[in-house]
Amino acid sequence: MIYYLLLPVWLFLLVIVQITILDLVSFGWIEIEISVIVIIYAGFHFDALRGSILSLLIGFYLDCLTSTIFGLHMFLYMVIYGFSRIVRENAYAGKPGLIACFSGFCALLEGVAIVLLYRFVFGSNLLHEIPKILVPRAIAVGLLSPILFSLFQRFEVFLNVEDRRPDRRI
Amino acid sequence: MLIPRKYLSLAAAAVLLILSLAVLSYSVARRSETGFLRKMVLEAAAPVEDAVNISLGAVDDAWKRYIFLVGIGDENRRLRRENTALSEQLNRYREGYLEGIRLQKLLDLRDGLSKRVVTARVVDHSRASLFKTILINKGTADGLRVGFPVLSEKGVVGRIIETAWNASQVLLLIDGNSNIDGLIQRSRAQGVLQGAGSAGCSLKYISRAEEVLPGDVVLSSGLAGIFPKGLLLGVVTGASRTGEGLFQKIDVAPAVDIGKLEEVLALIPDPGTGE
Repeated sequence: MIYYLLLPVWLFLLVIVQITILDLVSFGWIEIEISVIVIIYAGFHFDALRGSILSLLIGFYLDCLTSTIFGLHMFLYMVIYGFSRIVRENAYAGKPGLIACFSGFCALLEGVAIVLLYRFVFGSNLLHEIPKILVPRAIAVGLLSPILFSLFQRFEVFLNVEDRRPDRRI
Repeated sequence: MLIPRKYLSLAAAAVLLILSLAVLSYSVARRSETGFLRKMVLEAAAPVEDAVNISLGAVDDAWKRYIFLVGIGDENRRLRRENTALSEQLNRYREGYLEGIRLQKLLDLRDGLSKRVVTARVVDHSRASLFKTILINKGTADGLRVGFPVLSEKGVVGRIIETAWNASQVLLLIDGNSNIDGLIQRSRAQGVLQGAGSAGCSLKYISRAEEVLPGDVVLSSGLAGIFPKGLLLGVVTGASRTGEGLFQKIDVAPAVDIGKLEEVLALIPDPGTGE
């Protein structure tokens, strides 16, 4: 129960940190999107209901504060969460290499989805943003994800919401 | 029970996924006024972001002014402290002077516009994001609504897309989702200025027969009724007729330096005219 009570507050603070402090720390050069890492972590460790509520909520906050298309982050984060669950079912989700590659891939995928939506729905060509914004962001997310995963694990123990099932599938 | 207990949470996740897709589809199809929950989030976030940004600025200042001075002799330290205090004072005066100039320019613009205007401070600006938006510290309590134009002393900044009571989100003219009816001042050729992200903007639907030169000024045409006619949008940086199709490819640099925005003006249209 404490999970559902604290979740909106923690996620709100996380989004604020992401769009203020991390933006300043990176001098506005790279968008450090830790929200994607949180979603992937939820996909690897939480059950379907907890994880999808978390994804929807964090997407909602980002849609309210940064997005120009309401609902876009909510949908993309639900899709990323779904991908993470598929990966979890088919691979050992504790390897730092897998975490880094998958997180980077998801960050890139999210960006490309936004660029394509802009291209086909609004007719705006943002392909030039892929090497400028999306690739550095994906690299940053990939590099940070193994470190943040271990931090989240400690935080999760504090909240006592760890999924009882082991990561390794036999 | 219709769904076995084992699959209940998966079913709930599927419902949430469909819900998110429905929200996205509705939002793409039509833009509505900001809902209560979204207002609450904006309202809560604006002061927090403001406080965080101000605090970080202060920490940054303290770091620059004091940490590097550790280990220098007493006399040197005293003189530097004095120097820092004087610099700080000078900096404050300079900041006040520059703010005065900026506000004077805004005031001049304000006087020049017949419509009611609201001056707002930029609270947050995500620089490296794909979405080009800013958060300002005025909202419906000051009369702002979704769709109202936002300007600076240099030209058009964008339009409001979300409003809370004391905060609003502004879609910048460089965002790919932004379309403003514009015209080239010299030739009067009319088109649509669309955002192109960090590349600035592009002016669309200008016939290949039109002569467009770098340096041409682009103004708002006032056609859609959102932006009054004659506001400065940007300057043409390049035009090309090489591609296929009926229209030219025209690159436009926005008149406003988005990265340096501190104060903006939101225009409140006259209720009678709808402009």
